[in-house]
Amino acid sequence: MATDSKRTGTIPRHAMAGEGPPPGRWSRLLDPGDTALAVVLLAPAALLLSLVVLYPIGRLVYTSFTDLALTSGAPAAFVGIENYLWMLDDDTFWQTTFNTILITLITVPGALVVGLGMALLANLPFKRKWPVRLSLLIPWALPLSFAGLIFAWFFHSEYGVVNDVLRRLGFEGIIWFNSPRWAMAAICLTIIWKTSSFMALIILAGLQTIPRSLYEAADVDGAGRWRQFIEITLPLLKPAIAVALIFRTITALQTFDIPYMMTRGGPGSSTATLAMYIHQNTVSFLDLGYGSALAVVMFAISMIFTALYLRMIRTRG
Amino acid sequence: MSNAASADRPLLGFSLSGRPLRAIAALVLLVNGLFPAIWILLTSLKSEPELTRRPITYLPEDPTLQNFVVAFSDQPLHLFLFNSFMVATLSTIATLFVSTLAAYAIARLNLRYRDLILAAIIAISTFPLVTLLVPLFEIMRALGLLNTWAALVIPYTVLSLPVCTLVLAAFFEGVPKDLENAAMIDGCTRVGALFRVIVPLSAPGVFTAAILAFVNAWDEFLLALSFNSNPALRTLPVGIQLYQGEFNFPWPVISAALVVGIVPLAILIVLFQDRVVSGLMTGGVKG
Repeated sequence: MATDSKRTGTIPRHAMAGEGPPPGRWSRLLDPGDTALAVVLLAPAALLLSLVVLYPIGRLVYTSFTDLALTSGAPAAFVGIENYLWMLDDDTFWQTTFNTILITLITVPGALVVGLGMALLANLPFKRKWPVRLSLLIPWALPLSFAGLIFAWFFHSEYGVVNDVLRRLGFEGIIWFNSPRWAMAAICLTIIWKTSSFMALIILAGLQTIPRSLYEAADVDGAGRWRQFIEITLPLLKPAIAVALIFRTITALQTFDIPYMMTRGGPGSSTATLAMYIHQNTVSFLDLGYGSALAVVMFAISMIFTALYLRMIRTRG
Repeated sequence: MSNAASADRPLLGFSLSGRPLRAIAALVLLVNGLFPAIWILLTSLKSEPELTRRPITYLPEDPTLQNFVVAFSDQPLHLFLFNSFMVATLSTIATLFVSTLAAYAIARLNLRYRDLILAAIIAISTFPLVTLLVPLFEIMRALGLLNTWAALVIPYTVLSLPVCTLVLAAFFEGVPKDLENAAMIDGCTRVGALFRVIVPLSAPGVFTAAILAFVNAWDEFLLALSFNSNPALRTLPVGIQLYQGEFNFPWPVISAALVVGIVPLAILIVLFQDRVVSGLMTGGVKG
């Protein structure tokens, strides 16, 4: 399989290179070779990425093998894998990792389903498009930290609008942020609200690329609406959905702003995420060695997902 | 233009295209999208006594702008706004420049490692910002950039670089090669053709990339919280934190500050919504 695709990949490239018009001498002067030009064009991006991503990751990995702490004046000593061994016995590490995975497993499919529904609604033939557009763009543009604060106010036990609606419907108000489960539910609902509109925008873009003729042909064949949705719409949406899922899963694994704003991880550390625990270890406890080891684990998890998605994009075309 | 029959041909796969259903769909989307912002606006217009009353009021009984006055006088909100605006604008300009060059290389040049570069871009767009907290802090301290806009502008430029590069590359691929060749025959260099032909023809893509970058920077909280200890340099998401006392949570004032932070974004989105959405759509077509 792999060799087949490689072969079909190389043959046209040779053929195309042969077909091109021979470059004149003057144009070659003004037009450096692809490789030279590519190096120049990609250099600024590569420089920035080295400074802000690659070098810091190297430093991070190094720090994770030391006991660097800003609380003691002592210089950092190399401690091998001690930080990683410590993690195995650290309940808070397991708890925050579990919370992060739970948030990812709830909010990614949640945002996909809600976003798909919103995209289908937004794709109706409205006469005026702008109100619908605006309603998808505003949640997308709203800062995560703002969304966290606004929804913390929504879920306020005394004066929040959510409990007000519950009371009007005859239910008891819920003290959302005193119970681990309800606090987690409030956080997940907020994240789904915040992220589903981005899903919807991407899926909407995918919907609008589906040619109408496919549905007309399916009509002729006598396929019902639901079958058309299952057999035409969904398969053709797969690339758009895959792209949307990439961004969503990876950002879900990094969840910080919304739980930080809504609960600060409480009660206890029942809604704290791994990102919040890393932040706490580095900024509050100033334990940079352990914080770095936690960060390496998070980096590894997110790279696994990245690799999965890269493979998915490639195989699905 | 379109007759009834074609208007009733939904792309959905199932029929939900009647006029009442359209109205319900629009209502659902509008309430979902705008209610939180509208609710925080209503909250900001209420007085503290009205806010701490049950059952809660929906519309403010006695609308007041006092909360906005307090929001600006309790904390330097105008500075938070200014800092957010400058950091977002500077990083957007930097991202656009760097990602335009990179996107052209990806879209137009016969790169040997194109797939690898694309994979690297996606991989880099996924790195968790929180993991870079400590090393970036040390780098910024070594460069003497802590407590400057640059400490945020540089990471934010990188933050938006992958997505902007992908969006721009998708648009650049859509520009017919003939137009670029024509410009080069007229004496443009390749880079000249990039900035005189391809970038202008990809204006929706450039706008999309710019807005993505601006919103990313406006939104960022963690690095802003960590790299600028000087209150005069705080951005909005960090500054809004400062209204909370240890035991009190002045919701009306926080709401007013939130409204102040949302208004610029809302203006941006209302003005450029056409371009953002059509940009995202075209990106979807090309991508």
